[in-house]
Amino acid sequence: MLWVALLLSPEQNAPQLNEELRGLSLYALQYSPRTAITENAVVVELEASIRLFGGKRNLRDRIVAEVEALGVEQVAWSSTSLAALAFARAGKENGIRGSLTALLDPLPMETLNAVEPHLTTLTQLGCRTLGDIRALPRDGVSRRFDKRLLVAMDQAYGLRPEAHVWIEVPEVFKAKLELMSRVESAPAMLFGARRLLLQMCGWLAARNAGTTAFRLRWLHDAMRSRDAGDCGEVTIRTAEPMRDVEHLCRLLAENLAKVELAAPAGDLELEALDVHPLEELSRSLLPDPVQAGESLTLVLERVAARLGPEKVLRPVLVEDHRPEWVSQWQPAPQTLPRKRARQNRFPQPSFMLPAPLRLSMRGNKPMYQGVLQLLAGPHRVEGGWWQRLAKDGVENTGNVARDYWVAQSPHCGVLWIFQERLAGDETAWYLHGAFA
Amino acid sequence: MSVLTHHPQPFTTRTGGAGARELVLSSAMSQVVWRGDELGSHVVDTVPSGWPALDQELPGSGWPRRSVTEVLTAQPSVLEWRILSPGLKPIVDEGGQLVVIGPPRHPHLPGLLHMGLSDKQFIWIQADSPAERLWTTEQLIKSNSAGAIISWLPKVRPEQLRRLQVCAQSCEAPVFLCRPESAQYESSAAPLRVHASASQDWELNVHILKRKGPSHEQTLVLNSVPGGLASILTPRLRRPSALTPIEVPHAVGRPIVVPRTERASA
Repeated sequence: MLWVALLLSPEQNAPQLNEELRGLSLYALQYSPRTAITENAVVVELEASIRLFGGKRNLRDRIVAEVEALGVEQVAWSSTSLAALAFARAGKENGIRGSLTALLDPLPMETLNAVEPHLTTLTQLGCRTLGDIRALPRDGVSRRFDKRLLVAMDQAYGLRPEAHVWIEVPEVFKAKLELMSRVESAPAMLFGARRLLLQMCGWLAARNAGTTAFRLRWLHDAMRSRDAGDCGEVTIRTAEPMRDVEHLCRLLAENLAKVELAAPAGDLELEALDVHPLEELSRSLLPDPVQAGESLTLVLERVAARLGPEKVLRPVLVEDHRPEWVSQWQPAPQTLPRKRARQNRFPQPSFMLPAPLRLSMRGNKPMYQGVLQLLAGPHRVEGGWWQRLAKDGVENTGNVARDYWVAQSPHCGVLWIFQERLAGDETAWYLHGAFA
Repeated sequence: MSVLTHHPQPFTTRTGGAGARELVLSSAMSQVVWRGDELGSHVVDTVPSGWPALDQELPGSGWPRRSVTEVLTAQPSVLEWRILSPGLKPIVDEGGQLVVIGPPRHPHLPGLLHMGLSDKQFIWIQADSPAERLWTTEQLIKSNSAGAIISWLPKVRPEQLRRLQVCAQSCEAPVFLCRPESAQYESSAAPLRVHASASQDWELNVHILKRKGPSHEQTLVLNSVPGGLASILTPRLRRPSALTPIEVPHAVGRPIVVPRTERASA
């Protein structure tokens, strides 16, 4: 058996400590479901998880690197949970190298919680270490002290089985964090938020799930101005279920960079909104080089987080004869329609102007950087009266009556221009696209 | 020197009829000797450009991967798809995603479909400011997940280009940077710089400003009819320059003044 004890610093008031222990246990659930809270520490049994996480050394390095952000003061390893806790309290990390008895004996006896009620008596007997207690005659100890001390000693030394109440994975994730000091700018909240994200990712891993939306809420502290409100929040959505701390943290950072706090924030709250089962990639011996699709989604998400989701677009083709309505654009993460529009077999430009540009004339010839030479046409496009468009409060129809021509300009290549038909005095030539 | 010791006679001298001397190297020797008139042979990772004539001039016979390529044009959005799309088509056919960053006009997919691209594998990133364009381009290059990247960078400094080039060394997709013509007088870290312009008779004039190898002297003329226009072109329309009317001023009853309206500013 391999136990790890994650010891929180004891100088905290009880409700805050409970909250932190709960968060820490959620984080630890990703390593093993055999996670329990003992006094002011979380103990996890990891024997069955060693291979999954790439060996003892890798597992140890990963846990030690991650728990620092969660406020853990000491990590200790041993073969029983009470011994691991005792090593953590004594400030030693390694309790697995060598025989357990030899390692436990020199530890001070206060490291075992069951010693606490009898500390005075034991001190007067001349006991200093756990080894001293163990050296006392066993029947005498059981008569002189209560049963708990002997049981705890036996459990710590691995002579008696331990019983734990395992933490259950909660159905929803909602965690709170009181910031150490008031935070005045949004990006500075990231440090605290990262701690909550670590907990959330541990919880997601324990449920074999990933999140597609989570919400960070910050509560303004009491000394806020009246119009600031109670709290502010930011909701972050991802295209695919995700539980990678680094990626979620980067997304949050991009979003927080745009937030301006109405008042200094004192507390953070993180909530997982949408949780979906996540299928992990198999870790094969030969790595698969074709994993590009996933990573492109990630980078587009990051770009969208900075530039805005309406700036990263994918085309959706619609069957419409009016060129400006054929390509519609939608944010990249949205799924494309299954049904494909039929392809237009007539020549079409490859670039369009956002709005038709009215051309000036020389005589009866349209000009755009020189007189245009009309090559092919007309391609008549008409209709659209059924479509109602409201622009600036004026309702209009999308009706067009145009003759499209392919024209060549001496300086800017082949263009796609049209003449407005049936427009009375408004008849004019417009530039609409380019065969670039 | 080891080559020389293994081959006591590394080359023979052949004397031509007119007294021209030509060196014929043994095969082992010719592999290690680089001649000044050859194209750089260490550009190996390329994608075919789709223009056989252009491929012959490009080092590694194609657009390079793992580096950036500059395409310089007098005006943006005049001929980019015409020159690039034959090379992009095989990438798209293999399932690569085409990412377009900051084009000056809206891409129109019906026309691009005619060129063999796909609407399912097209991503348009509307980056407006120069900093946004650079950042987005760099992120995509670093991620090495797109099939091809085309970025319009009207304003970019040489050191920013160098940064992109360094990032691109680990990017398998070809990266095209569309820049204005005036950039040809600035130094650039891009190993391949191509200047392109369109002429009247459905031709593209391509001049390679910089490549790994000897300088490119003459201009390549590539025949290209854009966007499905080939299906409607009559033989007469294939040479529009012959259609241009020679302006004969009408001298009867009017003074010989060609009306000069002001040029369109847009």
